[in-house]
Amino acid sequence: MSGPLGNSPRSREEGAAPPLLEVKHLSVSFFTDAGEVQAVRDVSFSLKAGEVLALVGESGCGKTALCRSIMRLLPRSGKIKGGSILAGGADIARCGERDMEKLRGRLFSMVFQDPMTALNPVMTVGEQIGEAVRVHRPRASRREVRARTAELMELAGIGRPWERMDLYPHSFSGGMRQRAVLAIALAGEPAILFADEPTTALDVTVQAQILDLFRDLQRRLGTAAVFVTHDLGVVARVADRVAVMYAGKIVETGTAEEIFYDPRHPYTWGLLRALPALSKGRDSLYAIPGMPPNLANPPKGDAFACRNEYALAIDYEEEPPMVQITDTHSAATWLLDPRAPKITPPLGGEARGG
Amino acid sequence: MSAGRRALWFGKKLPALLLSLFLLVTAVFYLSRLAPGDPLLSYYGERAERMTPEQRARAEERLGLNGPITAQYIRWWENALRGDFGISYQYKMDAAAVIADRAGNTLALGGTGFALIFTLAPLLGALCARREGGLLDRALCRLGTLASCVPEFWLSLAAVLVFSAGLGWLPSSGAYSVDGGGLGDRIAHLILPLGVIVASHLWYFAYMVRGRILEEVRADYVLLAKAKGLSGRRVLFRHCLRGALPSYLSLMAVSVPHILGGTYIVEAVFSYPGLGTLAYESARYQDYNLLMLLCVLSGGAVMLSGMAAQAIGQWLDPRVRAGEGPL
Repeated sequence: MSGPLGNSPRSREEGAAPPLLEVKHLSVSFFTDAGEVQAVRDVSFSLKAGEVLALVGESGCGKTALCRSIMRLLPRSGKIKGGSILAGGADIARCGERDMEKLRGRLFSMVFQDPMTALNPVMTVGEQIGEAVRVHRPRASRREVRARTAELMELAGIGRPWERMDLYPHSFSGGMRQRAVLAIALAGEPAILFADEPTTALDVTVQAQILDLFRDLQRRLGTAAVFVTHDLGVVARVADRVAVMYAGKIVETGTAEEIFYDPRHPYTWGLLRALPALSKGRDSLYAIPGMPPNLANPPKGDAFACRNEYALAIDYEEEPPMVQITDTHSAATWLLDPRAPKITPPLGGEARGG
Repeated sequence: MSAGRRALWFGKKLPALLLSLFLLVTAVFYLSRLAPGDPLLSYYGERAERMTPEQRARAEERLGLNGPITAQYIRWWENALRGDFGISYQYKMDAAAVIADRAGNTLALGGTGFALIFTLAPLLGALCARREGGLLDRALCRLGTLASCVPEFWLSLAAVLVFSAGLGWLPSSGAYSVDGGGLGDRIAHLILPLGVIVASHLWYFAYMVRGRILEEVRADYVLLAKAKGLSGRRVLFRHCLRGALPSYLSLMAVSVPHILGGTYIVEAVFSYPGLGTLAYESARYQDYNLLMLLCVLSGGAVMLSGMAAQAIGQWLDPRVRAGEGPL
């Protein structure tokens, strides 16, 4: 049942180096008035240096909770119930807040969904970037911090940084703010960057710019990234590998090619079919029927069963195991069981063409 | 805001300020004179009761209490605009001089109290916010609510009972000992009234700071501040407290007269010779001129601090600060 990426033997060279981040059997719950909400259920994955992993799934499937629990930025009600997060030679799941403060900004950093609220409205943009610079270089002089701030702003594509660093966030547009947030996230030269739907709150035209900037910076600086999104179009643009999440679990993981051209999980099929590009020439967009389950009370068996047109009887009884398809590709569905009936995926050549 | 802009802003506020002051003066003047009581009693004492009608008329004329109220009112304005606020009937000297005599005592008590509350409230509020829901926070919340709900006069009496009558550590009344005494003596006399003022007001402000910080802590920018590696304390003080500061400073500015006014009751219980005791006496003994001047002064203080609060809010919050367009 363990994730294929963590402990499968690899022959290729890059597989020999230990991964930058390795999450094993992580479970995270929120303890609310309505009871325990199991936001992340037994998730395992790993991330290599310089790699971009996209976490894909509907709202509320646990993508954000997963990222925040790795950075240990969960709200008070959120608790890591089990599993381990290995990074920087330590198990982060067991680190104290003091140790986390030393890791944040340096080992990993985060870009948030809504740039309109992510910046402190009563501090200048330069001050906020400078703070992040100082975390990394505590002994830097005022002038050095400002010079580095300007450099970071330029890096993030904010022109005329010397004039703009003394402005407050309200003078910035949404795209500019997200660039400023990116500059803050990059200030500590982190090894891993978490990007939690960084383009969702932006205009479509700005979205493309920010994505290109993100990809460009990630390649130039060699930063590994976990890119959270519900938009498969974005995934195609930035990701090396993809992990599809549903109801707090990773249901399919593989390289971007494998996910787009050879998807195996019915939920992944549904997501791909729902892409507007694949509904061309039809009257309406495809939508996956039903609603995601309530994670305060997850259903028995496969959580996706009741929305799955290919569900088997066993889906309602037992959770499917993670089945290895190739070295890098695996999916958790009973359809991959040798005893399962053979079905034709609904995508056929369309996905290959798209 | 540029200097010119600021001047313009105050220029716009000035007429409203003057109008409010005028209405206050008028209301206090008529109300105090319509209230029952004999002002001659406070000047002549017992003698006023034995006066013949002619003597009474002459005395009233001397003190400017003759004629209809409106005529007296106009006379008061004529004198006031020349800077003459009349004499205090009780002290038989210029009302302004009587007040100047006592103002120092009240400023020492209220000013120190204000300064203490002003600095302690954010610290206490931040402390509670940092340990929200913890034992310390819950204990302080309960204790603070209790302290601010107990009436000041009762707290004063309890303090006198314990520390003066019981333990004998501190003097129970006055501002200094009869035989003089130095600074230490002044401070010893200040401790109890000051303690009561701080205890009864502090929590209101600390709780407000606590609430504002908790509001800020839940804001998204706190996540980013933490994600970039700032320590919890730095996020709390540099980010959250800073966000809470404009509303805190505005509230504190509005509260200047509130805290100074709070000294009135405390002064009365501790027989502390300040403006509070003076105001109480002047209202009780129909010392009209003194009462008028005290009202004008405290009314002016209320209005000025309200204006200051507004100005501070605008000056501190860059989003409301005028004259800075986007680049």
